[in-house]
Amino acid sequence: MDVMRLRHISPDQVIFWQWGFVHINATLVFTWVIMGLLVVIAAVGTWKLTSETRISRWQNLLEVLVAGVLQQIQEVSHEKPDRYLPFIGTLFLFIALANLLTIVPGYVPPTASLSTTAALAILVFIAVPAYGIMDQGLLGYLKHYIRPTPFMVVFNILGELSRTLALAVRLFGNIMSGTKIAAILLAVAPLIFPVLLQLLGLLTGLIQAYIFAILAMVYIASGTRARRQREQKYQTSPTSLQEENTES
Amino acid sequence: MLIDWFTVAAQIINFLVLVGILKYFLYGRITRAMREREDKIAARLEEALEREQEARQELEKYQKQNEELARKREQMLAQAREEAELERKKLLREAREEVDRAKARWHETLAREKDAFLADLRQRAGHLVFEVARRALADLANADLEEHIVRIFSQRLKEIDADKLHVLHSTLQRDRNVVIVSSFELSEEAKETIAEILRRHSGNNIKLNYRVSPEVISGIELKIPGHKIAWSLDHYLESLEEDLRSALEEET
Repeated sequence: MDVMRLRHISPDQVIFWQWGFVHINATLVFTWVIMGLLVVIAAVGTWKLTSETRISRWQNLLEVLVAGVLQQIQEVSHEKPDRYLPFIGTLFLFIALANLLTIVPGYVPPTASLSTTAALAILVFIAVPAYGIMDQGLLGYLKHYIRPTPFMVVFNILGELSRTLALAVRLFGNIMSGTKIAAILLAVAPLIFPVLLQLLGLLTGLIQAYIFAILAMVYIASGTRARRQREQKYQTSPTSLQEENTES
Repeated sequence: MLIDWFTVAAQIINFLVLVGILKYFLYGRITRAMREREDKIAARLEEALEREQEARQELEKYQKQNEELARKREQMLAQAREEAELERKKLLREAREEVDRAKARWHETLAREKDAFLADLRQRAGHLVFEVARRALADLANADLEEHIVRIFSQRLKEIDADKLHVLHSTLQRDRNVVIVSSFELSEEAKETIAEILRRHSGNNIKLNYRVSPEVISGIELKIPGHKIAWSLDHYLESLEEDLRSALEEET
């Protein structure tokens, strides 16, 4: 029944079909399942949207989700959250659903594959400069790397790489270990314990989804925040000059 | 190797596709619906606010009208009160005037009665005095009072002063009728004495008419047109009347 053996660390290793370099493994299959589910839920939930005050339960659920994500983005970025919503919201929904479906027997979360988490981390790694450049132009964004001094360039780049790596490994490690421990416990003590651990797994899965999305938002916000800090500095400088004058 | 680069690439594409689909199916639709609802609610709130404003204005209008009505009512009441007061004063004044008029009438009547009474009294007193005097004269001198009266009248006629004599003379030239009015029937002797004196004054051709009248009190009057020569108790009675009148007025 099980798709993945215990010796398999990652669902990448379960290959269903291969043609040269191209192959279809369990990670991709389960990713498509999740994508399908999300699309179906979104399509059904928004089938009969209404702007009246009485709304369907599906619409209510989706609105709660979207409004919650919007609020979280707003709190982190202190900006209009609309343009970050598709990326951050999809990160959260995808990871959350991928992790929550672990209660379905036979399912292997794609987030337990380092390839998936690396893909998501790479997307965040690209999104940070992308949003930064959209926000303040290429030069404006690049200046961000030589702050506070040009000597910091190397450290800034290393910091970005390492945090991307941390993002990928954190999610992978948590979910993979959870899955592995569940499988091992199932082999050792098949009653009760696996249930408790799976409950715990649901909790950590949701928390990991939240952490991943929030951290992505924090990184993006830190990339776009450079300009705002500079603007604030300009705005405050005349008053600070005046203060200096009065003091002297 | 835990990372399969083909899977990484595939997952990146998968995720981007998912972002695109969800952006169309979920975020776009949901945020639009939410925004529309917010707009609707805001519009409704605004409308409600406007209605409330209108209601408040209406209320203020009615309150103003009420106040206006109350003020008018108060004004009308005050006016009515004032008019009633004026009417009362007018009635009071009229009543007072009526009373004054009645009092004046009463005073007038009283004065008239007093006058009448005095006239009556004078007449009676005259008669009484005449009676008393005659009796007294008759008793005392044993002479007739009427004879005395005639004598006194004759004496006066004889001693008439020049002015009066002239008047008498000129009047008798035009009209020779002389009326002698007395309170009693004159004796033939007395009539002769008076005629004798008159003839001496104004010649023989005078016509003497004798008349008795109770209006003359105890005396004799000689009347020619426009003039009169008289002696009677009237003169004394008039002073008596004066005394009585003053006495009566002091009493009232």
